[in-house]
Amino acid sequence: MDGREGLRIAVRSVRAHKLRSALTVVGIVIGIASVITFATFGASVQAEIIGDIGDSNAGNIYVFGTPSDDEGFDRVLQPVFTESDLAAIGEIEGVTAVLPRGSVQVSSIRAANQTLARSQVTATTPESITPASTVSGRAFTSGEREVVVNERLATGFSENLTAGSTLTLTFPDGEEQPVTVTGVVNGTRGELPVSNFARQPRLFAPVDPFYEAVVESPSAGVRQRAYPQVTVVTDPRQTAETREAIEDYLAGDADARQLSASDTELVARSGSDFVDEISDVIERITRFVTGIGVISLVVGAIGIANVMLVSVTERTREIGIMKAVGARNRDVMSIFVIEAALLGTLGSLLGVPLGLLVGRGAAAYADVTFALAPDWIALAVVVGVVVGVVAGLYPAWRAARIDPIDALRHE
Amino acid sequence: MSETAATATAAATEAGEAEPTVVVDEVSKHYTVGSRVTALDGVSLTLPTGSYTAIMGPSGSGKSSLLNLIGGLDTPSSGHVAVDGKSVSTASEDERAAIRGTDIGFVFQTFNLMPRLTAVENVALPLVFDGWSRADRIDRAVDRLEAVGLGDRTDHVPSELSGGQRQRVAIARALAPDPALILADEPTGNVDTDTGATVLDIFDELHAAGNTILLVTHERHVAERADRIVHITDGEIGSIEATGEA
Repeated sequence: MDGREGLRIAVRSVRAHKLRSALTVVGIVIGIASVITFATFGASVQAEIIGDIGDSNAGNIYVFGTPSDDEGFDRVLQPVFTESDLAAIGEIEGVTAVLPRGSVQVSSIRAANQTLARSQVTATTPESITPASTVSGRAFTSGEREVVVNERLATGFSENLTAGSTLTLTFPDGEEQPVTVTGVVNGTRGELPVSNFARQPRLFAPVDPFYEAVVESPSAGVRQRAYPQVTVVTDPRQTAETREAIEDYLAGDADARQLSASDTELVARSGSDFVDEISDVIERITRFVTGIGVISLVVGAIGIANVMLVSVTERTREIGIMKAVGARNRDVMSIFVIEAALLGTLGSLLGVPLGLLVGRGAAAYADVTFALAPDWIALAVVVGVVVGVVAGLYPAWRAARIDPIDALRHE
Repeated sequence: MSETAATATAAATEAGEAEPTVVVDEVSKHYTVGSRVTALDGVSLTLPTGSYTAIMGPSGSGKSSLLNLIGGLDTPSSGHVAVDGKSVSTASEDERAAIRGTDIGFVFQTFNLMPRLTAVENVALPLVFDGWSRADRIDRAVDRLEAVGLGDRTDHVPSELSGGQRQRVAIARALAPDPALILADEPTGNVDTDTGATVLDIFDELHAAGNTILLVTHERHVAERADRIVHITDGEIGSIEATGEA
């Protein structure tokens, strides 16, 4: 028998029982949709993070203090890395740049007569602003009242900011300072991979004169600027060794070690560590949801098997007719297997777009760019077909074994 | 009775004539339904090619069992059945399915059409299992539907057709594979008298065209259309009566 005829018979049968068929595939739809949702959401988050790190940041090592009980980044990081620490880390072999990062408290930013509240101002050194990530203009100069802005901030005012624009920064104590915008950037060297750079208005200013967190350096014995986070740019070919050397330094007599609370752990993370960590979390969630999806698929398979058994009983006479006009057992079997496979396929074809839709919603909610996971989609369709076939095997075998004489007598 | 059949077969073979389309030789069929029931007891019957035979008998006489055996739907407990030179009694299940599909055309009392297939698809169904291409199947099916006067109903499903039209679709289906034998089980049992007459006229035409027909009925006037009438009682052939037409 040719398969297309089997498919035609299956389509007729499914169409003849639209509601029943629809309800039967719901289990498959839910199973496939939940897996696809989290696969695409996970892929979106991962793509976002990997995109942030990029190739140019592959050699970055992010140094910061974190509570030993690992409560994440919620706690405000203390400024513990002194200028002396920065200088010492700069001496380590393989280090090409040491970029301090600190935040400057600003209550508002004003351009002309328009005011923007709650913008993040990061104090760093001019080395953080590279020509590659500069859209227009140039980096700020250390010691000058100059800033660079990201594109989101540049376009945040009614009149776009460009190099040469003047902004007024208002500090929490009410003091106002005019600053000159020297450039617009689409990223900085040393950005943390989880910073969500393009989506928030950001302003970068030189530590001199804007950054004011000062502590007494235990090693130098003088008061120095201190930073909560430092990004160390390394030679990508020896990042691993350099990182070990940095960790050794941090574990030794670093100022940061002495200035940190006892429950603070000083860590040196590479970009791939961030990816691994977040991938790990996503993978765990995906595995959990996949488990739920698998349960749903099993329920869906049982539903298909049940409906197919009913269908076999209802169509006993048809089976008798087909056998009387020459259908072999395997012909009858394949007709029912094709029908079950069709139900499974329908389930996955409905489940995939539903999953993509929900995944897209989740990505929008989490503010990450939507990314497809094509391999998961392909897998989902295959799984739907396989579930249908497996669920249909037993009912189809029952159908094939029906005695044509009994079947033709069946009312 | 078996002796007669065997002699006739032997004679036909000796004379170098074509083998009869159906040879039933000493066939018995027993069922075990609680106790052992004998449906057929040593039945022998030969249907020469081109003959038109009617089987009559009260219900429970074994006529349906005989039809099922000749039709390859069942296998005998003992004895031998051959259709168009192919042994039905020793064939495997798949081989019997193939014989049913290509050598035998069934016409049932209750039409037995596939409810969701159109007339043309119903007629083409035996050809599906015989591996015909769709285009060839449709060609043949349309041709057979035209032959029974339903050329304008090809795309109707059975529920859109009258009883007589359905039975004609069923006859067209039986004719689709050019079978060696047409088996009809009470073909007029579910249609009114006029329609029944039309159906019987079609069988007459088929007979005239050289088809071998075996028809089961309990109505005398239907049976009289055949060359001869085989009377079955209690699983045995009681008598074979030649009708006037033969």
